[in-house]
Formats: sequence, structure tokens, C-alpha cells
Amino acid sequence: MSTTKPVIGMVQGDPAGIGSELMVKLLADDEVRQRADIVVIGAPSVFKRGEDITGHTIERQHTSAFDAGRVCDAALQHIDLAIDGIADVPLSQVSAAGGQSSLNGLKLAFELSKKKRIDGICFMPLNKESMHLGGNPYMDEIGFARDYFGIDTAASEFNIAKGMWNGRVTSHVAMKDVPAMLSEERICQSIELADSTLRMAGYERPRIVVAAYNPHAGEGGIMGREEIDIIRPAVQRMQERQVHVSGPFPADTLWLKVRDGEYDVVVTMYHDQGQIAIKLLGFDQGVSLLAGLPVPVTTPAHGTAFDIAGENKANITPARNAFMMCCDLSEGLAEKGGWYDASRAADNKKLPE
Amino acid sequence: MVTTPTLPTDSTPLRLAFTPGEPAGIGPDLAVLLAAKPREYELVSVASRALLESRADLLGIALSLREFDPTALPQADDAGVLCVMDTALGTPVTCGEPHIDNASYVLNCLDQAVDACVNGSFSGLVTGPVQKSIINDAGIAFSGHTEYIAERTQSSPVMMLAAGDFRVALATTHLPLSKVASAITQRSLLQTCRILYRDLQDRFGITSPRILVCGLNPHAGEGGHLGDEEIGVITPVLDQLRAEELSFTGPLPADTLFTPRHLEHADAVLAMYHDQGLPVLKYAGFGTAVNVTLGLPLIRTSVDHGTALDLAGSGKIETGSLRAAINMALELAHVEATRPAR
Repeated sequence: MSTTKPVIGMVQGDPAGIGSELMVKLLADDEVRQRADIVVIGAPSVFKRGEDITGHTIERQHTSAFDAGRVCDAALQHIDLAIDGIADVPLSQVSAAGGQSSLNGLKLAFELSKKKRIDGICFMPLNKESMHLGGNPYMDEIGFARDYFGIDTAASEFNIAKGMWNGRVTSHVAMKDVPAMLSEERICQSIELADSTLRMAGYERPRIVVAAYNPHAGEGGIMGREEIDIIRPAVQRMQERQVHVSGPFPADTLWLKVRDGEYDVVVTMYHDQGQIAIKLLGFDQGVSLLAGLPVPVTTPAHGTAFDIAGENKANITPARNAFMMCCDLSEGLAEKGGWYDASRAADNKKLPE
Repeated sequence: MVTTPTLPTDSTPLRLAFTPGEPAGIGPDLAVLLAAKPREYELVSVASRALLESRADLLGIALSLREFDPTALPQADDAGVLCVMDTALGTPVTCGEPHIDNASYVLNCLDQAVDACVNGSFSGLVTGPVQKSIINDAGIAFSGHTEYIAERTQSSPVMMLAAGDFRVALATTHLPLSKVASAITQRSLLQTCRILYRDLQDRFGITSPRILVCGLNPHAGEGGHLGDEEIGVITPVLDQLRAEELSFTGPLPADTLFTPRHLEHADAVLAMYHDQGLPVLKYAGFGTAVNVTLGLPLIRTSVDHGTALDLAGSGKIETGSLRAAINMALELAHVEATRPAR
């Protein structure tokens, strides 16, 4: 196996969604194949489903988890995931088997990354409900990943489209529970995570902007005090640490500035604040990055799309962008001293009084 | 998605009221600049005649002012003619310096314009920017045009922003985000939905409006895992409306709703809170957004900018937002004028 290319673990995702066709389409793309050495992690029956849908046949070398990754000579390896009943999961339906295969696939990829067999992970869309049925006690995959790696510092999903990055302070949380979760400490951590993540992605000094929580940024406290009491102090503390950060600004005008290239990354306070904007502005492009883990993990920023699964018409661009970004982030990690360093993040938690 | 307004084709032009708002701001400048060009409608500025004359002098624009005559038929004005419904100032105006003695003047103008709309003298009202703080400093509680007009006309307002065919209405407006979840009740939401539906029919002339409704929570609550307002409040209200065969779709996750695939089949979106709905209009590039207040017994549109005190009297301002607001008011007034009585 070549030493210069990154080794990427490609995880199948939910068998009932568009993941199987996306994966085969990616692997049928010469540029994708030349960009990295790839380890497919998934059930062969699901892979076959993708081949049948797309009409491509992909040669792979089946290998065991023990031999996989850097120690194998093949450019395209496949680790078979055996899950009871997976072959019988119909398209477009949630299932415990589908959720289990998603979880087992991710877990195996995490293990391989721990053993340094793979440099990065790119996974096809998961289904939260299937994962829930399959035994995931967390609201999302980042909770699962944090637990696996034993991380108690900030870890969060970033969304990237057309060069615009978005990280968020709270994510899969009911709106009424958001205000209680906003704290100066937590916002500082999110700003720090944005700073370190973009630095690792090659930004020399990331320009970070922080969104307000209330309409009109609270208009001087008339429409909420979170800006005055929590967000502004957090921004000021990070500015004192020489982080290039500004805000809080009202969400409406802020995204215009991001679109026009004034900032590299927006830190938003809640899920929809960033998601609406980035999906609209970067429609059909978006990538999600699970940041703050010891390995770069990317995925297309869309779901399983049960409504079009099996029709061979899913847009490949987000998955392709996710794969390419994973390769970029995974490249030359040894020289860079590895990916995210949790101990550095822990240091940064000790903020000046 | 942006459409050119359909102007009335019959011989009598429509008559609109314009309140320039804060006299020390750019509102009077807007009235003057607009009067410098010919119009296909009659725009009556409800303001101080002396103020408009002096602002026109300051800007070096020659105007002939004409006093509004409610008994005459509306007439389209030529370039340089400004029709005014004279209202006395409290104190002389210095550009850029709002004075508390003119707070009552600002509200007097608004009262006159609103009352004249309600009694049928005007087909609609376009409001310019006011300085909320100076009105409050004068000891008059004032949280905004929308609330003020609603109170004067004893009605329940629904705020909508419209850019061409893209329309977003709000279930809640200017309150802290932490208060939004408890502010949305089945009762309030049902009322908002009914006003929105009725006004899309009556004001916009859409026979069977198709409305997309956002969830409050991420992923529209994901079956209750991420919040229960969709199950407890929003869905029951929409089910009730759907039982009446009204086209309400949702609650949908806001981040999927605001994508072209969904929007192309909708006449309006109902968002649950300010920043869920309004930013989209600003960054989606749908054109100039106009603020329309639904639920009132009059047509009311508004500019989307503030008083820009530092630019008053400078001549360095754009009239695009005002023209968009006027065009929208004309469009709605035209529907009103041509609609068969209920």
C-alpha cells in the first residue's frame, strides 16, 4: 500500500437509504480511487444492493479487521460486517438491523483509527431512528463517538458548504432547553474548537464570528439578555486569548457577511440558526465534520433520503465533497503531529480569570 | 420568483398614505425624493408641510406642494408635485436630532393616516421609519408600528415579510427567544394561521393558499425526541385546519423547508420565531423584502430600514425599500379594489 496517500475508512451507513448507491458511485469514480487507499466497512449484501442500483461492479479485496488498513496491500479493501437480518432490510424503512450496522461500522472504523490503520473516516448517511432502534442511547452520532473515545472536552458537528463553516454551541436539543445550556464556558469551548478545527484544515488564522441568540441580538437587552450576560463576555475572553473572533451579531445580517467571505466560520447558538442558512446557501454541496475527535470524520450533510432510495438519482456531490475533505484533512497527519489534540483543548479550558 | 407589481389598469389611480415617521430622520427625504418623479398613483404624505418644504430646499429639489383634498378623486402626480396632509410639528426640526417634543407629532401623523385608511379615504398605508427610543423618552409607551396600529384598530396583527412570491409570516415576533416556546399556544397559533390564510386570500388574491409551517425544534422535534411542541401544539392546530380542507403542510424541519424543492409549491411559510424566518429572506437573494402587516382592517406595508439619522438631509439615500413597500401596497390595494365582496 502506498505511503503517501491517506487511508480512508468508508462506512456504509443505513442500508435502507441512499448510502449504498452513493458509496458505489463514489468508488466508481477514478478521482476518488486515486485520491486515497480505501477500506470499505459494511455488509456485502448492502454493497451488492448499491451495485445493483447503480449498475457498477466494484472489485474489492475482502479482508479481516485484523489485516485491514495500512497492513494490507490492496488499494480497495472490504471488511465484511455481519449483521443478522441486514440483507432483508427493505429500502426506505427504519430497522434495528440497519441501525446496528451503522453503529458497528462506525465503531470498527474508530477502532482502526485508534490502531493507526486508517487516517480518516467518511461515512454514508445514518438514520437516527434506526440507530435508536439498534441500541444507540445518544441523540446523534457525535454522542456515540464522544463516548467511544472517552472525550469530555468540546466535540461538535461542523457543517461546511462552499467554503463557509458552521459550528454550533448546542445541537440536537429542544428549543426550550437551549437557554439553560448556554454558558460562557461552553461558548468559549465552541469558539476554541472552531479555531483549532479550521487551523487543522489549513486556515492560518481562522476568522470566527459568533451569532447572537435573540432577535436583533437582543436590542440592548430589550429582547433577551444572553448577549450581554453570556455571549459577549465569552467573545471578549477569547479575544484576550488572541483568537480572531467577533460578535455576537444578529443572525440575519451575519450570514450575508459570511457568504461574502468576511468570515471563515460562524459559531451559532442552536441547530436551526446555522442549518437553515447553510442548507440554503450551500444547497446540494454540504459536508458535515465531526470535530473534536482524535480522527477526522466526515459525512455528506444530508440524511438517508428514503423518498428516493434505490432510484439511482441521489446527488453524489455532498458525498464526494465529504470524501475529498476527509482526504484533505487526513493527509500528512503524522508530520502535523496528529489530528485533534484533546490535551490542548483541555489546556484551553483553563481560561484567564 | 420576483414579480413586477401589477398596477391597476382602470382610469382612477389608487391613493396611498405615507407617514415619513421621525422628522429628524430620512423619512422626509424619502417623501421629497419620491415626489421628484412622476407617479401612476397618488401618494399623500401625512406630515408637516413646513418640514417637507424645508427638507426639499435642503436637498435642492424644487417641489410644488399640494394640500390633500379628500373630496377630490385621486390623481396621479407629475414630477415635482407632492401631495400633503398637513400635520403640525411640536417643535422645529434639526436633521439628525430627534426631539421628544415631536414624539406626539409622529403619532398624530400615524393616527390620522390609520383612521383615514379605515374610513376608506386611502387604499393603504406605507410607513417610514420611526425612532422608538425618542417616543418612549417622551413618556409614551411604544414598541413598534405594528403593535401601535393593531391597538388603535383593535385587531390582532401578523407580521409578514414578502419578496416577490416568497412570503414568510411569523408566529412570534420581537420577544426573547427563551420565551418563544411558551408564547406559542394552540389558541395563538390557530389565530395566526387563520389570519394568514384569510389575508392570503383577501389581500393577495390567492384562492386556495398553500402554507408550509415550520416546526419549532430542530428536525421538527424528531418524533418528540427533540422537543414536544410539534406534537402538543403545532400538529393539533394544523390537523384542525386540514380537517377543514385548508392546505397547511407541516410541521416541517425548518432547514429542509427552506429549500427550493419545498418552496416552489408554497404560497407562504409560517415560521415560529423571528430568526427562523426572516434571515432567509435577507440572504436568499429573493429581492427587496417588504414588511406587510396582516390581520389589520387596512393595508399596511413598511420600509425595512431605520431612521438613518446621520443621512437626513444629505441626499445620499436610496429609495428602493420605499418603492418596494409602495409597490406591494399598490398590489394589495389592487386586489382589494377588484375583489368581489364577500
